[in-house]
Amino acid sequence: MEGYVDHLVQVILQDGRIIVGKLKGYDIRTNLILADCVEREYSMEQGVEMVPLGLYMIKGDNVAIVAEVDEAKDATINYSEIRAEPLAEIHH
Amino acid sequence: MDHAAAAQISEPLDLVKLALGERVFIKLRGDRTLTGTLHAYDAHMNLVMSQVEESVHIVDVTDAGQPLPPRVERRNVEMLFVRGDSVILISPAQQ
Amino acid sequence: MLIFSFFKTLTDQVITVELKNDLSITGTLKSVDQFLNIRLDGISVEDPERHPHMMAVRNCFIRGSVVRYVRMAAKNVDTTLLEDATRREIKDAKK
Repeated sequence: MEGYVDHLVQVILQDGRIIVGKLKGYDIRTNLILADCVEREYSMEQGVEMVPLGLYMIKGDNVAIVAEVDEAKDATINYSEIRAEPLAEIHH
Repeated sequence: MDHAAAAQISEPLDLVKLALGERVFIKLRGDRTLTGTLHAYDAHMNLVMSQVEESVHIVDVTDAGQPLPPRVERRNVEMLFVRGDSVILISPAQQ
Repeated sequence: MLIFSFFKTLTDQVITVELKNDLSITGTLKSVDQFLNIRLDGISVEDPERHPHMMAVRNCFIRGSVVRYVRMAAKNVDTTLLEDATRREIKDAKK
């Protein structure tokens, strides 16, 4: 995950929530520090809702995926038009 | 069990060793079963299998909350890694 | 160690990782670590209509603990080598 530091990342949590923010740090347990976090709430009723959250430390156990956001591509997507079910939670 | 066999099988995973290269039946969490040829395993029961048929056992529920008869979705995978924490049991496949 | 080494042999191959939330992500395996955390490049999701959530990302890190399966091409796997390595690992563990 070294290459992701100071990049915009999209974190998918075990419960299916999606948080986008700038990765400031991480450790071997996938604990993360994310700056300027925004939760992206997907629903079928309305477009993606962007909820600002601020600075977060996310415990590694709750992390499913960390993905690098292609900021140029992200900027071309009209999230207010997108309708989708939220992601399912991880069932162990 | 005679001494030779007892020496060969002294712990549960020894039974899995005998299944290397053989067809096995696997039960997984989430109402899934697999049959396939076992090629690798470790102490976590992580598995590598080939020519796998996966069956997912699904019970749909009507809008009124009534369960429908169970159905099975099947799918074939030519080479598959299975993470051990999903594994419930391993058994030699009955033909 | 065995499964970790196995994944290292798959580096730069295209694999599909199926997660325990039913999301399937296909991409090129760039790296794997001791926890079987997986780095994938050039990713696509199985059902982009239903899962537009990954539209703006091209590579990702998947935590090993959320993996259910990894599917791969059979031609990329030497099954005889795998079975031998598994037997060797069991023998070494018992010493």
